[in-house]
Amino acid sequence: MAESDRVAVTLAEWPDDVDSDEGVVVNWFVREGGRADAGDSLCEVQIEKVSLDVYAPAAGRLTEVVVGEDGEFADGDTLAWMVPDGG
Amino acid sequence: MSETVDRERAIDRELTMSRAMVEAIATEMRDDEEVFYMGEDVADYGGIFDSTQGLREEFGYDRVMDVPISETAYLGAAVGAAQEGMRPIAELMFVDFFGVAMDQIYNQMAKNTYMSGGNVSVPMVLTAAVGGTYNDAAQHSQTLYGTFAHVPGMKVVVPSTAYEAKGLMHNAIRDDDPVVYMFHKRLMGIGWLPAPDGPKTPVPEEAYTIPFGSADVKREGADATIVTLGLHVHRALDAAESLSEAGIDAEVIDLRSLVPLDTDTIVESIEKTGALVVVDEDYRSYGVTGEIVASVADEALGALDAVERVAIPDVPIPYSRPLENEVVPDADDIEAAVTRTQ
Amino acid sequence: MVTARHYEERLQEEYLEGKQPAFDISAGPIPGELHLAAGQEAAGAGVCQHLRDDDTVTAPHRPHHVAIAKGVDLKRMTAEIFGRETGLGKGKGGHMHLFDPEVNFACSGIIAEGCPPAAGAALAAKKRNTDSVAVAYLGEGAIDQGAFLESLNFAAVRDLPVVFVIEDNDWAISMPKERVTDVEVGSDRADGFDMPGRRVDADDAVAVYDAAREAVGRARDRNGPTLLELQVHRRMGHFMGDPETYRPDEDQEAAAARDSIERLAEDLRAAGVDDARLSDLRADAEARVEEAIEWANEQPKPAPAAAHEDMWVNPGTGVTDSEPDFDLAGGDD
Repeated sequence: MAESDRVAVTLAEWPDDVDSDEGVVVNWFVREGGRADAGDSLCEVQIEKVSLDVYAPAAGRLTEVVVGEDGEFADGDTLAWMVPDGG
Repeated sequence: MSETVDRERAIDRELTMSRAMVEAIATEMRDDEEVFYMGEDVADYGGIFDSTQGLREEFGYDRVMDVPISETAYLGAAVGAAQEGMRPIAELMFVDFFGVAMDQIYNQMAKNTYMSGGNVSVPMVLTAAVGGTYNDAAQHSQTLYGTFAHVPGMKVVVPSTAYEAKGLMHNAIRDDDPVVYMFHKRLMGIGWLPAPDGPKTPVPEEAYTIPFGSADVKREGADATIVTLGLHVHRALDAAESLSEAGIDAEVIDLRSLVPLDTDTIVESIEKTGALVVVDEDYRSYGVTGEIVASVADEALGALDAVERVAIPDVPIPYSRPLENEVVPDADDIEAAVTRTQ
Repeated sequence: MVTARHYEERLQEEYLEGKQPAFDISAGPIPGELHLAAGQEAAGAGVCQHLRDDDTVTAPHRPHHVAIAKGVDLKRMTAEIFGRETGLGKGKGGHMHLFDPEVNFACSGIIAEGCPPAAGAALAAKKRNTDSVAVAYLGEGAIDQGAFLESLNFAAVRDLPVVFVIEDNDWAISMPKERVTDVEVGSDRADGFDMPGRRVDADDAVAVYDAAREAVGRARDRNGPTLLELQVHRRMGHFMGDPETYRPDEDQEAAAARDSIERLAEDLRAAGVDDARLSDLRADAEARVEEAIEWANEQPKPAPAAAHEDMWVNPGTGVTDSEPDFDLAGGDD
């Protein structure tokens, strides 16, 4: 599969009501190599006291976890890579 | 989707224990209008320990009811509604709060079926957040497993993983008998109270039920039997890893259910290992450790070579970190106890 | 009402049998405690006349007059009090724990304990959009118990179709009302909980009936809870065997002089009912009580092994007894 077929998994929208520009990945719900449908919750992140889910942008396979549990990330960072079905 | 892909989905998707518990509740609430949840801060807050996250958004304020700080009133109301045939799930925010409402719990919920000769049933679930290890001190850190298991008339279950949390919750809601469902705060997967590795497991999408009164062998071993529940299943598994490096092969049995209690699985293990180590996050005296040892002695005294009880000593749980760490058993304590039996 | 009075009087006889000469509480056909309600009949009848089988009533440890008024199966109730196998609870509950699901009646032995479940039954009726109501009976000694006060708030904030009925007989065992409660009129507490409250002299069954019609009607119309207080008097001791040495003679005499049944009889005569009819009613009631007691006395005692049964309605394992069969590689294994 070509590298360009992969899709980045990112937090859709940084919350308004936080000061921090860093968050932590708290829980992954799909492991590397696992499948998910579009819209499935892939992981849960926490930014200050706000908990948010990060959703699969497409149906496919999660091929690489970039930020693991307890790992920190900033707005726009890629948390993982997915390869969509049929790609 | 093809069946193969479905099975793969079941393996691929992992959930935290809180999400698994909520998924079961949501499914039952969708299937049956008579199921509803009542507790403090369960509506907009989603439960202090995430026990109802997302439920109010889906089901509204009438079915996910915030209640006044009146445990006697709302737990008793759950009994009354259950006796009318509804299926309430009523939550004790902290199990430690049972004190203000124990009459409705042990004198009504637990006894009405028996006192009526089986003519009345109380199909409710009493959920309760249990456990310490995060310095919340004596009035907010207890598990009280022994207290609830001791008084007759209520089934008592303690999930240790997400997979079990969902299966036990489905059974608890569907069961026409009253079930006390004790969920450990540190196993829920809450951001501000991180869980160990272990409670987050693959969870099938479909509904399923796990029977009560059935213990689960989480790790097989030939040299010693560790019997435990809740958080300490994971601490015992850690201890077992470390013990195996020292050449001691420990079997870890997760009770999952205190009432009914599965002694058969324990006795079968003792007949293999001869060494019984019971680990409990409740007070030592007059509780789970004593009960398990006595039950095994009752049935298989000849097979018992060694006994160790690892529990919180008979003191209120102290606040300061070194003090709490001293009283709540950890993996090292378990390892030391197992080693002593060899 | 006459059924209830005769019932309590006969039960007193049955109870004391076998307990002489020295009072041994567990001897005789009715062992244990027995709390009789002679003198309180109007509180049962006056309210329950407005109730249907699908309305729920919870009562305290002095329940017989309420049970009779609610339509509880008298034979099976008596058999239960006599500890027989065919009693309402197969002999497992006894006189303080009578359950008749056919008419939604239950009583219990902890003070004010029936208030939250009554609120819960009302909650269920509201959720299901029926017009059933619930009634919780309690004594004036119970109005200081947390379960009662919490239930008032819960019922008010949730607007529940429940009526709380205080039977004020002045005595909480040996403690007179004024020694333990700071308000003279218990139903005044309703103000603090944002619901209507009303007190009635319950030796007047007709007045009770009127007040109850209003309160039950309010609940049935979904206009919320009410707190009713009914003055009654206790003609016998708190429990059978209570020598009542704490109770001044004048108090007992005054109580004996206020007889709600006689008063109702007067009201009926004044309304044109003749004595023959009243006699017939009494005779029917007495016959019904005798029949129940005779039937109960003939019932078998439970087999000892039955003590281990009826813990659950489902099996201990719940709704399943086998593990599901999933392949969960990737988890704990």
